[in-house]
Parts: sequence; C-alpha cells; structure tokens
Amino acid sequence: MRNWRIIPRTIAVVAVVCVFALGLWGLPARGQMTAANLYISGDTNIQDMFNKDLLPLFERDTSVKTNMVFLSHGQGADAILAKIIAAKRAGQQTDVDFYETQPTYIAESASEGIWAQITKDNVPNSAKVDLQRPEVLVSQGFGLPYRGSSVVLAYNSKYITDPPKTYDEIIAWIKKNPGKFTYCDPQTCGSGQAFLYVALYKYANSADFTGLGYDANKEAAWRPALELLRSLKPAIYNNGFYPNGNVAVLQLLGRENIYMAPVWSDLGMSYLDQGLLPKSIKLVQVSPPFTGGDSAIAIPAHAMHQGAGMMFLNWLLTSKAQSIVVNKLAGYPGIQWKYMPQDMRDKFAGIATNFNPLPNAKYQADAKRLWQEQVAGSGQ
Amino acid sequence: MALVLPPFCLLVFVIVVPAAQAVLSTLRVEQDGHVVYSLARYAQILHTVSLYRSVAFTLLVTLASAAATFVLAYTLALYLRFSQGRVSTLLGALFILPLFIPTVIASFAMVTFLQNHGFVATLLHYVGVEEMPPLVFNAVGIVLTEVWASIPFATLVLLAGLQGIDDALIDSARDVGAGAVRTFRAVILPLNAVATIITLSLLFVGILGSFTIPYLVGGNAPQMMSVVMTNYFSNYLRPDVSVAMAALSFGIAALAGAAYVVGVSRRERGVV
Amino acid sequence: MTAVASALRERVGGLLWFWSIGAFRRTLPWLFLAGLAVFILGPLLSLILWAFAGQWFYPALLPDEFSLKWWPVVFGNRSVVASIQNSLVTAPVVTLLSAVICLPAAYAFARFQFPGRRALLLSFLSANSFPKIGLYISIATLFYRLHLMTTYWGVVLIQLVGTLLFMIWIPAGTFRGINRSLEEAARDVGASGLRTFFQITLPIAMPGLLVAGLFAFLAAFDEAQGTLIVGSPNYITMPVMMYTLVLNYPQPVGAVFSILLTLPSLVLLLLAQRLLRQGYLAAGYTL
Repeated sequence: MRNWRIIPRTIAVVAVVCVFALGLWGLPARGQMTAANLYISGDTNIQDMFNKDLLPLFERDTSVKTNMVFLSHGQGADAILAKIIAAKRAGQQTDVDFYETQPTYIAESASEGIWAQITKDNVPNSAKVDLQRPEVLVSQGFGLPYRGSSVVLAYNSKYITDPPKTYDEIIAWIKKNPGKFTYCDPQTCGSGQAFLYVALYKYANSADFTGLGYDANKEAAWRPALELLRSLKPAIYNNGFYPNGNVAVLQLLGRENIYMAPVWSDLGMSYLDQGLLPKSIKLVQVSPPFTGGDSAIAIPAHAMHQGAGMMFLNWLLTSKAQSIVVNKLAGYPGIQWKYMPQDMRDKFAGIATNFNPLPNAKYQADAKRLWQEQVAGSGQ
Repeated sequence: MALVLPPFCLLVFVIVVPAAQAVLSTLRVEQDGHVVYSLARYAQILHTVSLYRSVAFTLLVTLASAAATFVLAYTLALYLRFSQGRVSTLLGALFILPLFIPTVIASFAMVTFLQNHGFVATLLHYVGVEEMPPLVFNAVGIVLTEVWASIPFATLVLLAGLQGIDDALIDSARDVGAGAVRTFRAVILPLNAVATIITLSLLFVGILGSFTIPYLVGGNAPQMMSVVMTNYFSNYLRPDVSVAMAALSFGIAALAGAAYVVGVSRRERGVV
Repeated sequence: MTAVASALRERVGGLLWFWSIGAFRRTLPWLFLAGLAVFILGPLLSLILWAFAGQWFYPALLPDEFSLKWWPVVFGNRSVVASIQNSLVTAPVVTLLSAVICLPAAYAFARFQFPGRRALLLSFLSANSFPKIGLYISIATLFYRLHLMTTYWGVVLIQLVGTLLFMIWIPAGTFRGINRSLEEAARDVGASGLRTFFQITLPIAMPGLLVAGLFAFLAAFDEAQGTLIVGSPNYITMPVMMYTLVLNYPQPVGAVFSILLTLPSLVLLLLAQRLLRQGYLAAGYTL
C-alpha cells in the first residue's frame, strides 16, 4: 500500500518542477511588456558597452526601462527578421522596438513595409546624422547609424617599424614575410570579409556591388582578386590557415604567431585596454580604407513600444551618448563629427577617417562562397 | 500498441514530417518554367568539386575516426575484462570521463592543447623541439577529437559484450594450447560480434553527423559535410543545397544503420 | 614470398623477445595508462590552467600571472547567467517529460512482439542522425505556426526529441532483461498490471532506467543545434552560449565557462560511475 504513493509523489514533483519552470520563464516575459525591447547585434564589446554604460545611464536619465536581447555576431538575425515580418503579415504588433543590424538587411526587407520612417519629428537628433552616409543610403533611408567602426590594420611594432599604408603595400609585405599574416575566415567574421571585399573593389567597381541590384554575371570581375588572394596562400600563416572569428586573429597577434592582420578598430582597442594584446600592437588605417559601416538602427513600424524605441534612439544620438560610444569603441560616431566635443575630434583624428561600404547581402553570400571554393581551396 | 504512440507521434511530428518536407523540396526542380520532381540537385552536388570533395573527406575522416576509436576501445575493453589490479581500476575511471564533457568544451580543450604555441607546443619548446606538425585545424585534429569523445561509448558497449563471454571458454581455449592472439581471433571476436557491430555502426553514424567538432577543430578546406551544409544555409543563402546535403548525409547514415540492423538481427537469430 | 615472410617473422620474432621479459610486460599497461591519461586529461588540464590565467603569453609554460579576474566577467555577464539558468531549468524538465512519455513505450517494446516492432525501434535513431540544419526551415515554419519559436516550450520540445532514442532503447533493453516469471508470479497472486509494474518491474529496472535518464539528461543538456534554431536569440542555453564564448571571447573566459558547464555532468559522473559498467547501455543497443 505504501508504494502506491509513488505515483502521486512523482506527479507532484513533476508538477512542481513545471510550475517552477513556467514561473521562471513567466517573470521575464511579464517584464518585457513594460520595457523597450532593444535587439542589438555585434561583438562582445558592444554588448558590454550597452550593459554597463549606455542602458543604466538611459534608465537613469529618462526612467524608461529597457530590455536588451543581444544577437552575438548577428546570430539569430534571420529569426528576428522573420518574426517582425510574420507579425506585420498577421496584422499584429511585434515586441522588437529597436533593431540594430547590417544596413543591407534593413534594405532587403524594406519592401514588406515593416520599418518606420525616421524623421526630425519622431527622432529630433536624426538631424545630426549625415544622410549621405553609406549606412543610411544602403538601408534605403530606414536605418540610422549610431556608431561606425571600421576594419583597420593591426601590426606588431616590435617587428614592423614601417607599416604598409596601402593595400598593395600590404600584399607586398605578406609576400616578403611569409607566415606572419592571416585574416579570419570571411564566413565567420567581418575583418576577414573586409580584406576580401577590398580586394574585390580593387579590380571591380565598388558601386556595382553596394547598391540593391544583383547580377551574378558581374561577379566575373572578381576573378583577378580571387586569384590574387589564392596566390597568397603559401605566404599566409601556417601555409594558408584562416582562423574562425575575429577573436582568434587577435589571439594569434597576441601570441606573436603573426605580426599583422586586419582587425576591427573597436575590438582591437578594447583588447589593448584589457591587456590581452601586448602594447607593441598598433592600429593604423590604410588607403583605400577597409570596409566598415556594418551597423544601422531601424525601428519596426508596428513595434509594441515604438515610442520608447524612438526615445532610446534619440537619446543615443546625443553628443553625450555618442562620446561614450566613441570612447568605448574607438570608432566614429553616428552623428557628424562637428557635433562632437573638440577633444574627441582630436583624439581620433588618425583612425576614424573613412571606410568603404559593404556589398549587398546577395553579393556578400556569393563572395563568401567563391572565397571558400577558390581561395580556401575547396575546389570549383 | 497505444503505449508506443506518444513518443512515436512526437518523432513523426517534429522530425519525420519536416524531414520528408525538406527532402521533397530538394526533389522539386524548375525545368523550363515547370516544377518537376527529379534528382537533378543531387547530380549537381556530385558534380560540384567542392561538394563531392567534402563528401569524400567526410567519409574518410569518419572511417578513420571510427577505426581508431574501435581499436583503442577494444584494447581498453580487453584489458578491463581480463585484468584486475590498480591499472584496471584507474583505467576504468579514466575512460568514462569524456562522456561527461560536452563536445563544445572537448573541441575547445583540444584546440587549446594542441594548437601552435599551445600547451603541447610549449612543452616541446622546453625540450628543444621547435617544429611540431599541425595537429588541429585539419583532418588530424578532427580525428583526434572524435576519438577522444567516442572512447567511452565504444568501450562501454564492447566491454559489456566481453563480459558476456564466459571465463570458462577462455580457459578451455588456453587448455588446448591456443595463444593470446589465436584465442582472440577464434573465440573472443566471434562471440563479441554483436557488440562489435553495434559499436562500429553507431560510431560511424555519430561521427558522420557531428557538427561541433568539425566546426571548431576543422580546417578551412576541405570541410566536413556538416560544416558545408551550415555555410550553404547561413552564409551563402542557398538553403536548397544545404537540405540536399543533409538528405545525402542521412542517406549514408541510413546505410550504416541498415548494416547495424541486419547484423544484429542475424546474430540474434543465431544465423552466424 | 616465403623468403620475405620468414625474414619478417625473424625480425618480428626478434622484437617479441621484449615480450618475454616480464618486467617489460608489466610496465606496458602502466605506459598505456599514462598515455591514455595524457590524451584524455591533458586538454582538460590546460583548460583549467587557462581559467585561472591572468595573463599567459608564449612561451611561458604556466600563466604569467594567476588570477581570478575572469570569473566575475563570466558571472557578471547577464546573458551568460541567463544561459546557465535556462539550461538548469530545461534539461531536468526534458528528462522527466521524456521518461513519462517513453517508459511505457519502452515497456511495450520489451514485452510485446508486434509487426514492425524493430522498424519502429530503429526509427528513433533518425531523430539523431538527420542533420538538424537540414530541418531548419521546416522546423522553423512548423514552430512559427505553433507560436513555439523562441519560447521555453519550443526549446523543451526540440530537446525532448533528441532524448527519445535513449529513453526508449536503454529501458527497452533493461525491461527485456527482467524475467517475465517474476511479473507472472505477481499477476498470479492477484496484483493488477499497474501494481506489478510499479512494485515489481520498476525497482528491478531502476539501475537501467537511471542509466537511460543519465544519457537523456546529457543529450538534453548538451543539445545545441536545435536550441540555436528554436531559441535564439531570446532563449539561449549553456552549450549555445559556449559557442559564442569560445569564438568571441578571450581564451580564459571560454575556459571558465567550460568548467561551469562541465560541473553538473561531473556530479552525475560521480554518482553514475558504477551504474554505467553494468551493461545496461549495451543491452539497450541490441534491438
């Protein structure tokens, strides 16, 4: 008779666990209802900046609560876009109040009518943004940049006294110093992509690939660039090893396996600050510049707390918030430099000059595939 | 039987139906403006250099890993079965460990351990050896990590099979004058056949479909099918090719699964 | 050919001379143990060192400075802590649900012979052998329609599917190994089917069921692909977080998180060591 209690006991345990689980899950969900939901992509330094500096300051200034959903490297970005589109089609509101992603992805889905038009009326500080910036143009006017980082060249000053200043000089250096340079696999990171795209732009017209149009035949112009990159293979670190991710390259630099590599300006600076890179590593911009401008904010037209989202965007474009962004990320602000304090302008004069725009999403996809097949050597 | 229905329905609903849908979508090809069902996509895969190289590479790595694991696991199992003592106890505790380490961590640990200027390289540097052949970010790395992760399962199954062999049989073989190798070949191997088949085929299926290890430990080219599939899906925006490769991978795994079933049922029914 | 063969045999025979020396034979197992220990423990040891490394540049054999500074980085990171919570809340629930759904089925597979039994048993292998990335679109579409995408129950569901194999095969093998006469005897004395199951069968089968539960828990806990598809980015579990940490954070951070991620598994290891060697695993895989 005693053992019959096993069944109700087991059911009770399961029930308690389920309720507990639902409870834990339910709490954040309820919280989301009253705060602005910010969907932000990027690397971990961006996540830290929001968590530690921007969000607490915003909540203190405006008493509006925020809830950040962080997409590491844009992972899960397609799911979020699909979510926004699905809500629009179903005539519902979406819980995405603020979405940071690549300008080209904003443009791709613009035809669904999912983005709100940002003007001086709903976001006053948008007037401070240069509307000719690539991020605005590429995103069809629906995206606003709040930061700009660019890929720059990192080199170890212990071994390199006269760093290359142009792309051709970099190639020459690589060939003269085999095994001391690499870039991360373009399928896994932006700095490697930058190295690839600038090679493509060298031989083809960048304007062909950065707009919205897509014509696979134009990719024939990429052939010389891909051949150039393939010819570098024996001179690349470990006879042609392209690591997985931005951080892997920074680690190779730190361990002095390589002496030079393209890295994101913001990641590089933050690693130097944290002592993860020796002080001998320096960052320098080259000419023509590497690509950048991979970030823009768009606000869904049917966002549940659109007002809060726009309030946050507006606050983000104040020179106070922009100073934090520039300081933390060592990049350039979303607003024009003339609105930034003088000491900022002086401090970043060297690095933050310019960058090349990215190709659109479809061309990016093909470029990565062709890189894998022809440069990495999977075969074609 | 009604009892069997709940999990089976779940399986059908969440895996089988989506898989069937996915495979059907790969069979739909556009020809002259019409949608036709054909294997054209698969033919295309087998004609694309990067893709068929990836298939070949995957098969090679899978077979190599399975073989290496099998040999190592069998040795371990034999030792654990037929010896007592300190070494046996220690080995027994040691070999199970990788089972409890998630594959992401195993891959990360292997890379940290074996990479250039990593732990092993530093040790070698201290004894004066500067040149170390690359052990990660290539096929060798994948094989090493897969073996590392697969030892527990293989050893457990083989050991269980060996434990089913009566000591008396071994003793009688020795009485007739058979040496260790002869006993192994003639007595142990056949009697342990079921466990052997289980181990080999499940090792094959498991390693074939693994993603984490090739993704974190593999090199840039050639790549295992699971990595290529993922790239086609997320990076090249060609989900159709991705799904076709998944179906192909499943097809190969199914062959191994069939060998498994046939082998086990024949043994069970006593048809040697 | 025979000349070569005999020459070979001579050479090998010469080597086998070592084999006849007792001392050599006796050290061989120790060498094997040492080799295996290096292979299995080495990578883990270097990871542990990294977790406490303040700064570690080549060619230092040990970290230049030991420090705990990376541990607050991990614990202070909101997403990391959230992922730990999520894992600890999903995996046990998945295991329990799996047991509830699968054990009756396992019993049926063990006790009743019906047509297609083997095929049905085998079909559960498909959940673990069809690459999940290939199912991305289909599962995403399905889950969107059911409003399960990026929700807790969606993640539970996808992890549940991965545990079916272990919760059916291993218990089926265990139940099959239990002597029917025990159950029949209980039935003869008048006990009902359910009562026989709970008072006779279940206690005897418990070790095997625990092994099954262990594998199911590990499968759910380590599940990354499906959770990435369904949960990302709102609902992230520890293995998914681990990918990010390994690729995007400094080495020590990945090392710290590795230790955290391994702890629950290791606790289970200590508890389940004995159980694992009792052959329940193998019994389950002989259909």
